[in-house]
Amino acid sequence: MSAPSDPAVASHPPAGAAAAAASSSSGLTFKLHPLVIVNVSDHHTRVKAQAACSGDGTSAAPGQPPRVFGCVIGVQRGRTVEIFNSFELVLDPVSGTLDRAFLEKKQELYKKVFPDFYVLGWYSTGSDVQDTDMQIHKALMDVNESPVYLLLNPAINLSQKDLPVTIHESELHVIDGSPQLIFVRANYTIETVEAERISVDHVAHLKPSDGGSAATQLAAHLTGIHSAIKMLNSRVRVIHQYLVSMQKGDMPLDNSLLRQVSSLVRRLPAMESQKFQDDFLMEYNDTLLMTYLAMFTNCSSTMNELVEKFNTTYERSTARRGGRGAFM
Amino acid sequence: MEPSSSAAMARQTWELENSIPAASSDPDALDAIYRYDEAAHTRAQQEKPWVNDPHHFCRAKISALALLKMVVHARAGGTIEVMGLMQGKCEGDAIIVMDAFALPVEGTETRVNAQADAYEYMVEYSTINKQAGRLENVVGWYHSHPGYGCWLSGIDVSTQMLNQQFTEPFLAVVVDPTRTVSAGKVEIGAFRTYPKDYKPPDEPVSEYQTIPLNKIEDFGVHCKQYYPLDITYFKSSLDSHLLDLLWNKYWVNTLSSSPLLGNRDYVAGQIFDLADKLEQAEGQLAHSRFGMLMPSQRKKEVMFCTIFCCVIFNN
Repeated sequence: MSAPSDPAVASHPPAGAAAAAASSSSGLTFKLHPLVIVNVSDHHTRVKAQAACSGDGTSAAPGQPPRVFGCVIGVQRGRTVEIFNSFELVLDPVSGTLDRAFLEKKQELYKKVFPDFYVLGWYSTGSDVQDTDMQIHKALMDVNESPVYLLLNPAINLSQKDLPVTIHESELHVIDGSPQLIFVRANYTIETVEAERISVDHVAHLKPSDGGSAATQLAAHLTGIHSAIKMLNSRVRVIHQYLVSMQKGDMPLDNSLLRQVSSLVRRLPAMESQKFQDDFLMEYNDTLLMTYLAMFTNCSSTMNELVEKFNTTYERSTARRGGRGAFM
Repeated sequence: MEPSSSAAMARQTWELENSIPAASSDPDALDAIYRYDEAAHTRAQQEKPWVNDPHHFCRAKISALALLKMVVHARAGGTIEVMGLMQGKCEGDAIIVMDAFALPVEGTETRVNAQADAYEYMVEYSTINKQAGRLENVVGWYHSHPGYGCWLSGIDVSTQMLNQQFTEPFLAVVVDPTRTVSAGKVEIGAFRTYPKDYKPPDEPVSEYQTIPLNKIEDFGVHCKQYYPLDITYFKSSLDSHLLDLLWNKYWVNTLSSSPLLGNRDYVAGQIFDLADKLEQAEGQLAHSRFGMLMPSQRKKEVMFCTIFCCVIFNN
């Protein structure tokens, strides 16, 4: 359930910094879960709040929040690297290296609860990759031979559209005759489990959780779907505009993009077989039956109440006679 | 880009209508909750305002991170109940949950002392976390009831009562990952038990939820021994910013999710349970000559079950 590649975004290649401009050529696909992002952001907020409260500005430059470090864990299946979770690490301020004993203990604890996950790499906050990061990266190589480095930019920039999260890999490049390890940026997609998506949605948009009647919840849910469809519509429009301008000759012809667009278009209609129609109609009928049953029970309950009320009023007038109501 | 601005406008109107306090423009105020105040904590421990008033805590504030972690952990457990601990602090009449972590024990309905096994893990985890900057203390426990709703069973009530005697302040949270996925909204409940022999004032039942027949007795016997707390959520300024941007990436998942397919098992189970309840209602109706009262209760319950299923299907 990962998001398909967006040809519109590809038409505006991001300008990379000097050290991490090259894009990864390893061919691995990265999938990131939102839990990791919230984890890192929470870690950063906590440390920032503590530092601000204790008035300690010695370690970091004034005005700059301190950097936080941690480990990311997940699973690698074949060419797909899926990052599920993360935990905090302690950085030794003197030597600038990670505390190994701490890492090992934490790893053990997490192995007990999530036996499938193992260390995939590490994360840090900051606006850009720093030179000291390579040392930490190399140190982690004995845990995982090709770790990933996740960088989160905690600066809140209201005009930016993209997530300030970048994933970097290390690659051996020959620079000036000597092989060196440099960071290269890798693309990633956001992957969620259904439950994760619902809770992220819930917290992000502060939907009414309790006490809301079925109607308001339905409204909230439909609003979510509506905004998703709006997004889809706007993206399709961008592609359309791009194609029109290409036709007019305003934009240079890009064959690879055109191929992607044509493959997208050819995917519709998505499903057109008799078997699908049959299954779909069966599901539809099941749903309608359930709704019917619900309405049925609703009506019978209301009718029941009406009968009770009638009984009570009728009985009051005939209580003296001691007989039962006529509606029995 | 116009769509995002009109979406923002729609959200603002929604927030206004539901009188949600405008997100504080000052990020520091929003993030102040993340600060750990040692002095305030020791003061609260000494004063112990909860000793005199069994209904002292009436609100629970859960952070975005804790909620996400609990739901993901509960969902990963599948149909097995899982449990974990929550860290945070208390403030006035609210218990604030900052973080949660999972415990490597599988909770079952018959194990009362599941927590004893987990103490070692908990102590190790807490000490390690203090090094990494997580200074709060354990302030509650959570566990999951996959598929049968958010309430405290008999074992849960006795565990919680024990906790509230010895490790105050303590909060019990129950998550239902199956109903979360099927209903499309987060099923979570926060509870505190009353001390033994305390007669609570008669409060009206807040929201009806369907309980499967085989658990309904356990629910009914103990439902008066605890009370629910109001849950609100909070997130930091950076969290809100990131979550807003996250929406740009996974609106696709919203469209591509199909609750009907994902919940087939659960829905089938619910319909089965519903059939049982209908049979019971019919049986009672046939046996009683007078008093439409008895079966009507049943009918009301059946009606609510079906309406619940209806809401699922509408999603």
